[in-house]
Amino acid sequence: MATGTKLFGSSIKRREDPRFITGKGIYTDDVKLPGTTCAAFVRSPHAHARIKSVNVVKTKASPGVVAVFTGRDLANAKVGGLPCGWLLPGIKLPPHPALAVETVRYVGDAVAVVIAESAFAAKDAAEKVEIQYEVLPAVTDGLSAVQQGAPTLHSDAPGNICFTWSIGDKEKTESAFRGATIVKQHLVNQRLIPNAMEPRASLASYEPATGDLTLWVTSQNPHVHRLLMAAFVLGIPEHKMRVIAPDVGGGFGSKIFVYPEEVVVAWASRQLGRPVKWTAERRESYMTDAHGRDHITDAEMGFSKDGKIIGLRVKTHANLGAYLSTFAPLIPTYLYGTLLSGLYAIPAIYCEVVGVFTNTTPVDAYRGAGRPEATYLLERLMDLGARARKTDPAEIRRKNFIPADKFPYQTPVALAYDSGNYGPALDRALSMADYRKLRAEQERLRREGRYLGIGFSTYIEACGPAPSQVAGALGAQAGLWESAHVRVHPTGKVTIYTGSHSHGQGHETTFTQIGADELGIPWEDVELVHGDTAAIPFGMGSYGSRSTAVGGSAIVMSLNKIKEKGRKIAAHLLEAAEGDVVFEDGKYFVRGAPSRAKTFQEVALMAYLAHNMPPGLEPGLEATSFFDPPNFTFPFGTHIAVAEVDPETGQVKIVRYVAVDDVGRVVNPMIVDGMVHGGIAQGVAQALWESGVYDSSGQLLTGTMMDYALPKADQLPFFETDRTETPSPVNPLGVKGAGETGTIASTAAVANAVMDALAPLGVSHIDLPLTPDRIWRAIRDAKKGGRA
Amino acid sequence: MKISGEHQLKAPVEKAWKALTDPAILQKITPGCERLQPVGPDEFEATLKLGVALVKGTYKGKLALREKTPPESYRLVMEGSGAPGFVKGEATLRLREQEGGTLVSYEGDAQVGGAIASVGQRLMEGVARMVLSQFFRNLEKELGRKKEGKS
Repeated sequence: MATGTKLFGSSIKRREDPRFITGKGIYTDDVKLPGTTCAAFVRSPHAHARIKSVNVVKTKASPGVVAVFTGRDLANAKVGGLPCGWLLPGIKLPPHPALAVETVRYVGDAVAVVIAESAFAAKDAAEKVEIQYEVLPAVTDGLSAVQQGAPTLHSDAPGNICFTWSIGDKEKTESAFRGATIVKQHLVNQRLIPNAMEPRASLASYEPATGDLTLWVTSQNPHVHRLLMAAFVLGIPEHKMRVIAPDVGGGFGSKIFVYPEEVVVAWASRQLGRPVKWTAERRESYMTDAHGRDHITDAEMGFSKDGKIIGLRVKTHANLGAYLSTFAPLIPTYLYGTLLSGLYAIPAIYCEVVGVFTNTTPVDAYRGAGRPEATYLLERLMDLGARARKTDPAEIRRKNFIPADKFPYQTPVALAYDSGNYGPALDRALSMADYRKLRAEQERLRREGRYLGIGFSTYIEACGPAPSQVAGALGAQAGLWESAHVRVHPTGKVTIYTGSHSHGQGHETTFTQIGADELGIPWEDVELVHGDTAAIPFGMGSYGSRSTAVGGSAIVMSLNKIKEKGRKIAAHLLEAAEGDVVFEDGKYFVRGAPSRAKTFQEVALMAYLAHNMPPGLEPGLEATSFFDPPNFTFPFGTHIAVAEVDPETGQVKIVRYVAVDDVGRVVNPMIVDGMVHGGIAQGVAQALWESGVYDSSGQLLTGTMMDYALPKADQLPFFETDRTETPSPVNPLGVKGAGETGTIASTAAVANAVMDALAPLGVSHIDLPLTPDRIWRAIRDAKKGGRA
Repeated sequence: MKISGEHQLKAPVEKAWKALTDPAILQKITPGCERLQPVGPDEFEATLKLGVALVKGTYKGKLALREKTPPESYRLVMEGSGAPGFVKGEATLRLREQEGGTLVSYEGDAQVGGAIASVGQRLMEGVARMVLSQFFRNLEKELGRKKEGKS
């Protein structure tokens, strides 16, 4: 355990930042190989159409063109479709070819690829591909797609239904609802489009002489990319393929998945014997990076006379887009339905989810992934419940918290919470916000005709899905452990190889903090290697806020093995019994005689010199570990947003934002603060601005940063953050996930603040995003006597 | 996208009708029209260069004049596609005498797809109005020149 040492818990500045802020990062597009060709994809402008013909004659004659391939070429070469990594009972798995063969199913669906000597030559030539389409009717929303008469996307998925999934006890929930005070709400959790700073890119290089294929790709999980591509798509032996995810500029989930483009460049490089590179234009990112959220939900919550929740019933249509993205089935099911107990004791829950195909970009995990949807739903219902019962929203939450003495707590929706103590985070947030004073201020302003609202979100998150055996039983096609290899060099310097991947999280800093602390050596003496399948044992990558909890713990396991071997060597050198040798601050010494000591560096050197080793002990000092945690980690907290709404214009101004999170023990508080800040910004943006919109014919109307409203720093308030600390019992570090909490909590907090502000005007709910237009209309409609 | 409007021309109806059905004149007065090749009675292949916001490009397609009722009305049907996406639409043109000249009224509907939809849709209406006003200005000029030529 690292308790009490100096680096764990200290806000050291990020080691990677000097390289990033001086433009010295090496991203996929920065990798230059001699003889590289560039790929440009020809994409469907239609949401749904049959491909009548593809004519590439003029394209092939265009200057600089090396090759042109169509879907038919890939099919003839037996290139497999894109695989799905999470299967549910009865799921329909329509083929997802990397290049469309007969039918295109969303705007941006790739039909052909042009490979040329330069990116410009490829783009010019791509314009000359002549494709004749027979346009078919399209459907874009998850509810319309399951209606009778809706256009069908895949003949093997009748009614556009990919799966119907449920969790909880239907009958018990129905009987719980009898006699309850019920609040109901129809909710739209709108589609979001991820905006990683670095667009997706891939560069494949095949060596005909050795048969080795190297792929540089913007990936959050290079080993998973290699496994899926080698085994399921390209049919390359896994050991002949190397995947490198170098510096990656943000992912938010969108770089977990295997996309058509990397499949095509990898295959094409083998055909041509030359490197092939593709880098997305921002417009391609909008069209083809997997989108997030997009739920249409009907939810009901029943309360007893004394204000206790007695039941929750949810039916959701989850829009999956045109094809199944790699982990699409997981997000609206096991990362959503299982979170519907929140941090409340709810005796009966039933949730049904229909996964639906539509003529839109595939939908998959986006920061929070299922959990923001669950939190938004629960927290809106809690506020509606508080309003119906004329109870204070903080108090109705407190009343329903799972009591601290009830852990471990088994929810009715599969999860077993191992730890939690929810009251202190709420209390701390209330005191930071000065809640009573805020309510008085709200009253005072209302008398002046000003509308201030206070919104709560008390949330729970489940991070680092685990253990692998359970994940497998639920449909995972991969394990959910993590690996770490730690190599001590003869001089006592250390390299840590992690299967986690950093694309903004700062692992080079936090993981070396852990390493330096455990070994008692200078931070500068520890290096981190990640993102290369040739350097690292198999790894699962970074998503679901799992890196420190799972990947960090694997590192600790390896460090412990090294310390133990070092102890054997030190005991031998000190001529002491192994049990009498203590390791502290980088020194092995005989208990009670600190001067009889060997430094970690001396021990490391001897491990490699092997001149004087204990009998039977192998030379060398390195260790590999695989950590498969016994459970998820469960961060939680309370967020409070204070917002003022201008009733004349519908404009929202966030006045204050208080966030108290419990992410367990914290390795680097500055980095966690940064994640919380960024997460809140993204969640606030969903509440107020962001929305991925298609027109009725399936054209993406929000395809640029002019039309898709990303948050800007000046629209956000100063974040007032604090933490409570309930260590997770499921990993040796006591840490939980921290990367998604802000996004999970903040959307609901802001939405509730706006609804609280509008309460005197008779508005109880408006679907997201809460744009001035929607708010203004809701106020107007409420004034007319209708309810919003 | 629906679009409608009217424009008053000085020229008499017969003359306006002639100009508005003459492919050589249509090509000349349509902004960005690089080619208008007859391929059948009242059917043409066209090449149009057009920029909508930052999406500039060349569209190739077909254009047809249908339901011609000289000199009163016809329906213009067109579809074209290019690197920036596709445009598809139709419009009805009506001509009637007014104040010694001709009042041309039009009413149409167009769909766009691909990049022009995702980038330019918000600006499409403005661009369409700009193109139309340029078209009628060019038409005025054309009709005026003919008059001068005759006299």
